[in-house]
Amino acid sequence: MIQKAINRTFVYDQKAMKLRGLTFILSVCLITLIFIACKKKAKDKTEEEETKFDKPAMLANCADNVIIPNFQAFKSAMDSLVYSFTAFTQSKDVATLTTLRQKYITAIIKFQHISTFEFGPSESEIVRSNFNTYPTNTLTINSNISSGSYNLGTVSNLDAKGFPALDYLIFGKNETDASLIALFDTDPKAANRIAYVTACLSEMQTKTNSIVSAWNNSYRNTFVGSTGSQIGSSLGLLVNQLNFEIDLLKNAKIGIPLGKKSLGVTLPEKCEAFYANSISIKLAKECLANIEDVYLGRSTAGADGKGLDDLLESIDAMHGSEPLNAAIKNQFAVTQSKLNLVAEPLSSSVNNATSTVDAAYLEMVKLLVLLKTDTPSALGIVITYQDGDGD
Amino acid sequence: MAFGFLMLASILRFIAKGWVYDMYLKPKIFFPYFGFEWVKPFGQTGMYILFIALAIAALFIALGFLYRISTTFFFLAFTYVELIDKTNYLNHYYFISIASFLIIFLPANRYFSVDATLNKKIAATHVPNYFVLTIKFQVFIVYFFAGIAKLNSDWLLHAQPLKIWLPAHSEMPLIGTLLTKEWTAYFFSWFGCIYDLLIPFFLFIPRFVRPAYFFVIVFHLATSLFFNIGMFPYIMICLTTIFFTENFHIRIIHFLKAFTKSTTKNEQTVFSPSAKTLKLFSVLFIIHFTIQLILPFRYALYPGNLFWTEQGYRFSWRVMLMEKAGTAFFYVHDRTTNGEIEIDNKKYLTYMQEKMMATQPDMMIDYAKFLKAEFIKQGFKDPIIRAQSYVTLNGSGSREFIDPQVDLSSQSNSFLKNKDWVKKY
Repeated sequence: MIQKAINRTFVYDQKAMKLRGLTFILSVCLITLIFIACKKKAKDKTEEEETKFDKPAMLANCADNVIIPNFQAFKSAMDSLVYSFTAFTQSKDVATLTTLRQKYITAIIKFQHISTFEFGPSESEIVRSNFNTYPTNTLTINSNISSGSYNLGTVSNLDAKGFPALDYLIFGKNETDASLIALFDTDPKAANRIAYVTACLSEMQTKTNSIVSAWNNSYRNTFVGSTGSQIGSSLGLLVNQLNFEIDLLKNAKIGIPLGKKSLGVTLPEKCEAFYANSISIKLAKECLANIEDVYLGRSTAGADGKGLDDLLESIDAMHGSEPLNAAIKNQFAVTQSKLNLVAEPLSSSVNNATSTVDAAYLEMVKLLVLLKTDTPSALGIVITYQDGDGD
Repeated sequence: MAFGFLMLASILRFIAKGWVYDMYLKPKIFFPYFGFEWVKPFGQTGMYILFIALAIAALFIALGFLYRISTTFFFLAFTYVELIDKTNYLNHYYFISIASFLIIFLPANRYFSVDATLNKKIAATHVPNYFVLTIKFQVFIVYFFAGIAKLNSDWLLHAQPLKIWLPAHSEMPLIGTLLTKEWTAYFFSWFGCIYDLLIPFFLFIPRFVRPAYFFVIVFHLATSLFFNIGMFPYIMICLTTIFFTENFHIRIIHFLKAFTKSTTKNEQTVFSPSAKTLKLFSVLFIIHFTIQLILPFRYALYPGNLFWTEQGYRFSWRVMLMEKAGTAFFYVHDRTTNGEIEIDNKKYLTYMQEKMMATQPDMMIDYAKFLKAEFIKQGFKDPIIRAQSYVTLNGSGSREFIDPQVDLSSQSNSFLKNKDWVKKY
């Protein structure tokens, strides 16, 4: 009996020892492997950068030196635009009309510098759709003016308001200055027309003011405080919207007029600010400059602060054999230089200098791939809400 | 039982997050699996009814009520939902399908269940060990193959993709800075790999169950902390308890009984199926596990880098293995005018579908075929559908993914055909 028990314990102990031996060997292997891995890494990089990248500082730079100053500049441009329209209605002449048009151009240029930031307050105001849906629908505009009853808040009026509608209304379609002024002056529907422009402007101004005040109050800290790379994090929002904006640049500003969606048949009337007809390329350049500002963390004054470029550098993101940041910076430069070769107005260039416009377009595609595919992938940014298991 | 409750939670979470709409109602097109092109979603009411039915079935499984019907329905309905669109393929969903298939045949309603209480005849305190073994073996396969899949140079020698994913969490309190260190990524990579390879063995050894289970909890909680992987960690944490001895489970049941105040007789009964059913079951299980063991290796039939081409990638327990992203521009080429239309993918695909399609060649074919049909409807004559696509894999930087001249709409998704138009990695 006792012997049996001893025997059993013995067998049991032997088994346990075998297992312990096995675990021991495995642990040793594991530690060795980790050690080798670490050593290899140490060799790869003699001078390891120990400082952690300061994401809150990057977001703060972005908010304080890029986003907020641009919104403020846009707000004053909007205020001047509204003021110049009032001046025009008080004294309807070529001089006030010229000023009005200049103020319009300034405002839509400044708009290129805030369109990217469609999150937080701008997202609630649906800025891109409300301010800049083009080509504008002249039929809807004219019928709204002649009826005098409309609600600019409805979806059906999205393409009958904002900058594109103003473009049509103050630059006119084949109007001389005098005949355009007459539409606001002696035309039977002149009062309706003035009321319509006022309604468009006041909607834009109200939205702008509410966005600027949100940024000046609590949203700035919300934005800076939301670190991380998760859904809805500021970095995620920023990169996502940057991609959306470059998509707009490539498609809406250049690709569609160039005929990329219409079997190569050019569509000049789909250019941005078609009626002003001398600023479409300018707007594309401003848009590209803004995308670069956001990427570099470059202030309105031109000071290069902490931006996505520094973040990509800090994690040693690569594009083939060169740093990803270098590839992106280079692509910005190439895209700008190709865009510089395109002459205004774009509505003529798409037909007269198709290959020049096409060259600029192709560089935008490359830039888009770098910003849309490489950047979020290198940063591990999560954009979707669904579960994943790593592709 | 735990499986039932977890599934209930999963299904409710799925509905609550609006994913029924996002995945099965909003999309204009679906990406079916090869051979399952006939699987189509129901309309809105149908899909919601189906999900509610799934939730009820899960609850019934948990309670052990109408067990065989509930499990069969759950398996069929869940698998159906997953077959609708491969965009949503996840290894966890595949695992749930398999697990729910296996439990159909298990006598898991024989003890501490509504069925056993209602019908004393089927009640039993003991079931043959091989029933429990099937689940254990399935879990073994999941871990072990996940471990084998990690044996690649990116994972072990370059700590990719963890080197990308971990620093993304640098803002986490306490451990944030640690995550940006390179050795952390290496440590996690090696730990994950060794864990996956060894844990199934240790779980089988009664002496090591407790420490092994401790690692199970640590590992899965860590993954749920860092990655967006939903319910999977909790499913595995609960499921691995099957490796514990019966005493552990009986204690839990006694604990639960204290709440339900139910009483059961103490006599021991053994559930022993008839020889014929047993034979049938064993044949079924053998076929099942043979397929399970072979399927993950089918990638060897295709040339090229598996992560790049993804031929034979799914259904192989390749989990969290790569950071892959891409952009694909699709063009409809008109043969008569030689003009081209660049497609706005957002017009036809959801964000998730576009993201998945851009890196997966078989989905590109599906999409091209859809576009072709769509443009023929608009009056085009036999258009060519080509795509320019750039993909980055594990931080390599984007490069051209497929031959931009190939007419994708004339390609085949057959298992037998190698997709030679995918560029070499």
